[in-house]
Amino acid sequence: MPVTVRLPGALRDATGGLTKLEASGGTLADIIADIERRHPGFRGRILDEAGRLRTYVNVYIGEDDARSKGGTDAPVPDGSEVMVIPAMAGGAHPR
Amino acid sequence: MRSGTASVAESFALARELRERIVAHARESAPNEACGLLAGRSGGPARVIRCANVHDTPTTRYRIDPREQLRAFREMDDRSEELVAIYHSHPASQPYPSPTDRAESHYPDAVYLLVSLRTAEPEVRGFRIDDDLVREVQILER
Repeated sequence: MPVTVRLPGALRDATGGLTKLEASGGTLADIIADIERRHPGFRGRILDEAGRLRTYVNVYIGEDDARSKGGTDAPVPDGSEVMVIPAMAGGAHPR
Repeated sequence: MRSGTASVAESFALARELRERIVAHARESAPNEACGLLAGRSGGPARVIRCANVHDTPTTRYRIDPREQLRAFREMDDRSEELVAIYHSHPASQPYPSPTDRAESHYPDAVYLLVSLRTAEPEVRGFRIDDDLVREVQILER
């Protein structure tokens, strides 16, 4: 059973404008690889050169923060919803 | 077709009540930066969602609590709303996107509203930020 991946914000330009898509895989890494096959370049928007989640990308698998469940090794149960949310941050200036 | 036509600046209708809520949030949070979202339908903001600033240096930086973001996105989905704007305050500086604001913006479809408290009368300005491109959006109070 596929999982639903939702992409609010700027990441949707990496999926041809889709904000919601289905993907298959047992871990977050598998899910990202599955989307990468259909939308080349997606992986690089989510993961850094070392294959870790980029600092400004938050991923929730259901209610769980993927970082607290092993990062890209986090298991993704069948039928779950994966939300990929770029951080909302900024500010006047660094000190 | 574009040549010869005047460029029309984008405008953004912001109800006085919503503006007042954002300014009130900025004042309550000072000297820290306040942050939050505006949700609505068909591009028009209908309600303010206050969020917690969880940045370690909240006087000059903001970071919206990611869990509140998650909750807000789900709630907007349930209500058939969209993210219309992201606001934050600059307690002591101008209401213009700083280099940090530009570097950390990831929502080109949302208007970034900035509230400045540097003067007695708060200033609110709106911008689109797409990579390093910043375009001001004219705010129409209604």
